[in-house]
Amino acid sequence: MSSVPGLQEDCEELLSAFQEADTVRFERFAELWRERRFHTVFYGRIRALERNKLTKKTLELAQQYFLPPYAFQIRVGALYLLYGLYNTQLCQPKQKIRIALKDWPEIQRFQQDLIDSQHYDAVYIFRTLRLARAFHFTAMPKLLNYRTKKKIQEKEFKEEFKDPSNRVNSLITNDVLEELMNIHDHYQKMKCVISADKSQPDKALSLIKDEFVVNLKDITLEHQEWQQNRMKLFLNAKETGEIPNKKEEESLLESEGSERASALARIKYKSYSAVIEASKSRRHRQVKLESSESGSNYGKSPNRSRRNRRPQPVRRRDSLEIKGEMQMAKEAVSQHIGMPVITEENSDEEEVSVPKRKRRC
Amino acid sequence: MAVTETGVAAPDYEEAELYTRVFRVGAFGQCWRQQLEPPDLSLAVEAAADADAAVAAELGCTADTAAELRAVCSIDMLMPSDKEKDPDVIPEDSSLLTLRIRKKALERREEVIIVDRACRQETLAYEMESYAAGKRPDNPTDVVDEGELLLTLNIFYPVIFQKHKDHKPYQTVLVLGSQKLTELRDSISCVSDLQIGGEFSSHPDKAPEHISKDLYKSAFFYFEGIFYNDKRYPECRDLSRTITEWSETHDRGYGNLQSVKMEDYTFNDLALKIGFPYLFCHQGNCEHIIIITDTRLMHHDDCLDRNLYPLLIKKHWLCTRKCFVCKMYTARWVTNKDSLAPEDPCFFCDVCFRMLHYDAEGNKLGEFLAYPYIDPGIFN
Repeated sequence: MSSVPGLQEDCEELLSAFQEADTVRFERFAELWRERRFHTVFYGRIRALERNKLTKKTLELAQQYFLPPYAFQIRVGALYLLYGLYNTQLCQPKQKIRIALKDWPEIQRFQQDLIDSQHYDAVYIFRTLRLARAFHFTAMPKLLNYRTKKKIQEKEFKEEFKDPSNRVNSLITNDVLEELMNIHDHYQKMKCVISADKSQPDKALSLIKDEFVVNLKDITLEHQEWQQNRMKLFLNAKETGEIPNKKEEESLLESEGSERASALARIKYKSYSAVIEASKSRRHRQVKLESSESGSNYGKSPNRSRRNRRPQPVRRRDSLEIKGEMQMAKEAVSQHIGMPVITEENSDEEEVSVPKRKRRC
Repeated sequence: MAVTETGVAAPDYEEAELYTRVFRVGAFGQCWRQQLEPPDLSLAVEAAADADAAVAAELGCTADTAAELRAVCSIDMLMPSDKEKDPDVIPEDSSLLTLRIRKKALERREEVIIVDRACRQETLAYEMESYAAGKRPDNPTDVVDEGELLLTLNIFYPVIFQKHKDHKPYQTVLVLGSQKLTELRDSISCVSDLQIGGEFSSHPDKAPEHISKDLYKSAFFYFEGIFYNDKRYPECRDLSRTITEWSETHDRGYGNLQSVKMEDYTFNDLALKIGFPYLFCHQGNCEHIIIITDTRLMHHDDCLDRNLYPLLIKKHWLCTRKCFVCKMYTARWVTNKDSLAPEDPCFFCDVCFRMLHYDAEGNKLGEFLAYPYIDPGIFN
């Protein structure tokens, strides 16, 4: 089935607004829904047959966000979205929400989580949907018609919606670390036993780093922290980038203290905001570009900055330096987005994004 | 593959987004029924009322909270406070991309003056889909049971026209899990069943009434390595025997192909894959591909009259061939090597055929071969 144009964007926009609101309360969701007048998504002169198909596709799309691997908040948002769409649809009799048998245990678990965390509104809504018999209990979530010729579009999950993938954590768990520690100790003891000096192993037997388990633990913890910080900054950077810019501006004024610097800072701030204020539906994408620029330009930076530095006229150099400092301050904020290992290239980072942005503005 | 509490594996994709692994239909239904409560399965017209006390009990909260929840989570919270707008009119300043796109399409149509009315095919399609929804039988014993399984099958037409080779036309049929395979077999209407064999140019009035359906009654279904043969009548033969013998002669990699009687099995007894093509063969060589697209539990909004199943909900519209002379009536005769006709083969309705080829006394005029013709669009 081909998708409804524009629907995925609208749903994702609503869900990301809900995620930003950082709550799972239905009242908040209802506010966001009313703001967008989401119930009008079924409007337009649509005849009955087409309307049935459209509603089915809409519910199918919303239902996908209700299941893993999406984050908890997104799943609650999807539940509210399904509730809204099911009740505001114009089809008579109403189109139902399909639930596959393989997903039912997961949904039960989700329900139990909600009860345990006392999110009564979400539980109530699910219960209401169930009592209203809004579900079709099926074998598979979609109808399968053996369409080998049809290209299956890879649904791109929004990164922010997914729970951060915990592959490292699931590999190096506490149990694994403990066991490694035990084996390590045992190994050391064995080495001591067979050595001449009973208190420590022979030099010839030292084939591994003694501190290896401790290092592994530290690295894992660092990775976890980095992941958390990244997610946090990612979400923070989504709000208009004016906030980090303002900070830079202030620090800049403090350090320079000159009128020219402040004038340039003001100009730069304006040009930054001109880039940032993109249309609402593209807002998060635009900002994504900014933050990832600092992250992804590591490879390109040396060449770019070297090329761009030389042809700069003298006058510009000052402003560039100032911009560079501002950029550095910004980099300091967004540095955490990149892996903590790479710090040497910081000085090369300065003008990378700046010339690019200049061209765009 | 998710395993449910009863230990039976839930159906899951064998080939992603294409078809599932084999599963037993009856066991699947059993699984769902065990996981659900009676209110989920109920087929009553009205849903059970929701008391605050019940809410409080299930959620583990106070009755006051329950009442508050009812107020906070009501649907009115999602509806705007202003009066109900016309659903046909797209609001001007919508923030939804879906609506903006839709509006543009509508405006484009107005600009180019494309008139958008329901054509008769669309009306037919909609009627077929929805006419049986929610129907209840007069006789209460004919009501479908709660927890009954509903399967959706796509039955493809055998390819007759060249233009159908890429997108095969199909009809969609709903069957109940407890129905026998023979009931489905009887409900499949195929034009090859109605053929009348023989050449009747010399005696057009004596075209026999026997259609192929009466003469050749054998048929079989093929699901997952088992042939289900129709053996209700003595003249039915085992058409699948040729295939089983062929596969047994050499090791062709098909494993054991079994052959059983169609009338002994219901859909609940089968082991199937969803989305995988299977076969229905009748008339010796008329083959239809069958794909099961969906299996689910019965819902109170479905048709609840057992006698209406297998229920046809979608059919491909085939244009009928009209008489060459009057261009009004559907063709009933086809002639070959006809000296009186401008083309070979040529189609005629009954009246025009007799007027052209026979004189007032009924003598044959000219040389030709005439066969009764059944148009594939006869089921429209």
